[in-house]
Amino acid sequence: MKYIDHNIPEEILNIPAEQFELVERENIKDEKFKTEPIGFFKDAMRRMGKSKPTMISLYIIVAIIIAALIVPFFTGYKYDEQNVSFKNLPPKIPGIEKLGIADGSRVLTNRKASSLEDPDRFPEGCIIEIVNEYEYKGTPVVDVKVDYYKYLGVPEGQYHWFGTDYLGRDLMTRLFRGTRISLLIAFFSVVTNVIIGVIYGAISGYYGGKVDMLMTHFAEVLDGLPYIVMTILFMILLGPGMFSIILALCVTGWIGTSRLIRAQFYRFKGREYVLAARTLGVKDITLIFRHILPNTVGPLITRAMIAIPGAIFSESFLAYIGLGISPPEPSIGILLADGQNVLLQYPNQTLFPAILISLLMIAFNLFANGLRDALDPSQRGEE
Amino acid sequence: MAEEKYLLEVKNLCRHFTSGKGKNKLTVKAVDDVSFAVRPAETFGLVGESGCGKTTTGRTIIRLYDPTDGKVIFDGREISGPMTKELRQYLTDNIAMIFQDPIESLNPRMTIEEIVGEGLAVRGMKDKEEIRKMVHEMLEKVGLTEEHATRYPHEFSGGQRQRVGIARAMIVKPRMIIADEPVSALDVSIQAQVINLLNDLKEEMGLTILFIAHNLSVVKYFSDRIGVMYYGRLVEVANGDDLYAKPLHPYTKALLSAIPEPNPITERTRQRVDYDPERDHDYSEEQPSMVEVEPDHFVYCSPSELKAYRKQLGIEE
Repeated sequence: MKYIDHNIPEEILNIPAEQFELVERENIKDEKFKTEPIGFFKDAMRRMGKSKPTMISLYIIVAIIIAALIVPFFTGYKYDEQNVSFKNLPPKIPGIEKLGIADGSRVLTNRKASSLEDPDRFPEGCIIEIVNEYEYKGTPVVDVKVDYYKYLGVPEGQYHWFGTDYLGRDLMTRLFRGTRISLLIAFFSVVTNVIIGVIYGAISGYYGGKVDMLMTHFAEVLDGLPYIVMTILFMILLGPGMFSIILALCVTGWIGTSRLIRAQFYRFKGREYVLAARTLGVKDITLIFRHILPNTVGPLITRAMIAIPGAIFSESFLAYIGLGISPPEPSIGILLADGQNVLLQYPNQTLFPAILISLLMIAFNLFANGLRDALDPSQRGEE
Repeated sequence: MAEEKYLLEVKNLCRHFTSGKGKNKLTVKAVDDVSFAVRPAETFGLVGESGCGKTTTGRTIIRLYDPTDGKVIFDGREISGPMTKELRQYLTDNIAMIFQDPIESLNPRMTIEEIVGEGLAVRGMKDKEEIRKMVHEMLEKVGLTEEHATRYPHEFSGGQRQRVGIARAMIVKPRMIIADEPVSALDVSIQAQVINLLNDLKEEMGLTILFIAHNLSVVKYFSDRIGVMYYGRLVEVANGDDLYAKPLHPYTKALLSAIPEPNPITERTRQRVDYDPERDHDYSEEQPSMVEVEPDHFVYCSPSELKAYRKQLGIEE
């Protein structure tokens, strides 16, 4: 057959086959890579380091943890040291006191003007200024701003940075000790939840079928139990304390993790690299822990990180409704509950724990978000 | 034929997938009554369109799926029976698999050394140094360097990853390899590289290969015998040259007519043959079965079709 409508010259169409030469017949040989090998975590850390909010929140978390560890030893007070005559002191911080904030002053309202002269009632030098003067039923009455420390006769040089509570205990010592306990409770409950959740979810997700159905239904039944009731039961059974709170947080806390892991296992168990390992004769347990689990580490760490502020909050909530650890041991929730009773008179007693718990929550959530982005394999190698 | 020694025999293999229960029960016959045999040291190509059950066949042979029915015999031993520890050991010692997707088939969290060396570790090899030495040797064989062993899969190109997959399959020194579309995810220049590598390794190690693909030109280049699958059934099995020279089953003809040719002149006039089972077969009276039309050339056909095929080949009864 000859076609005339093409423009290919005759001699090109008739090149004999022998003149063709195969390219790349010799053995293939690859060059070395010029870059350094980068492992998964190294890469994730590198990417995390580039995200400012993540790093800032990491610094905040580290700072709070360090403070929780060392501050109670340096305040000079013990967390259960009571001094009823120095109760409800306002905050007084050396250095800043000269600026007019945190100087240990408080406005006393509705005082008889005449009593200001009485050195028994108002020791010398404690009155800073008279804020308001008026008459009530013919008697002159004043609102007076006093140096509350001098007013109560607190020795010179004694400072309570965050003030004291209704029993005269130093709030800063109690707050950071409480933070330590809250963090401990959160840490232990999250670790327990992750361990149980990973094992449970891995088995249920990997084997699937009937095993999975039974395990999922069991978890659902457990999840349906009212959590407060169970907590109260634990308190009655084991007595109030850290252990029963951790236990209460663990009874249903692992279910979320196990669901996450189960879903991840469903996602990864059909992957070709898992099949490849199976054709090589790798055992189930190795497949679960070596081939599939490392790939779920990103969502898992993120979830654990988000669960920590969640656990702190749950603990605070339990303490707030009176199911906390036993006094005099503080926790953030107990401090908040105590402070809330005197919120209007002494707002500082609520303010500081509230700021701390908010900082913790925000920092942990931001950090978890940053970690999730850093551990996301789809962003691998990107800036 | 009975006295001939086959390495792998697949007899009436079925693999059905079911979903739902009761009224909603749905059965998909991914592999339905497939029989073929592979001789030692030959390459058997399995071709067919996407979704016709090639991959399922391969995976059922290596027992990633359990067969619904039928038998698979490897070197005289049935490997389709109930799974025991010993059978798993036998299977993994003798058959290895190469997977389709070079990205998917390597664990992103493991280094190349861990991936390739795993087969050895599973076999109870404890000495890390020895494993490392063997991994390095194997990597050399597939054209990678020692230095690549500490790298993670994402640092490699598609062709390199596929070669890592080949190294992983080869390091346990299997007697047979099931290559599940090993080149279909690679571009053409790399395809040749990988195919040539497989060919060299095959000759060097005396391997038998079950080569699953949908690219007919690759299969033709690579395979000694070819089986054509359509909708879970094997419709024609023949030597590579026979199949291309004298295809009998209308589906094979349709497949062959779809190969593009690197010649603009003939390409311009290439006629696609359509295959429509409703139109091309009349199975209302006669049941089709797998028949040997001429030596080593099997076609799935009814008796009347068989007559027509024989006539076409010029064989008179």
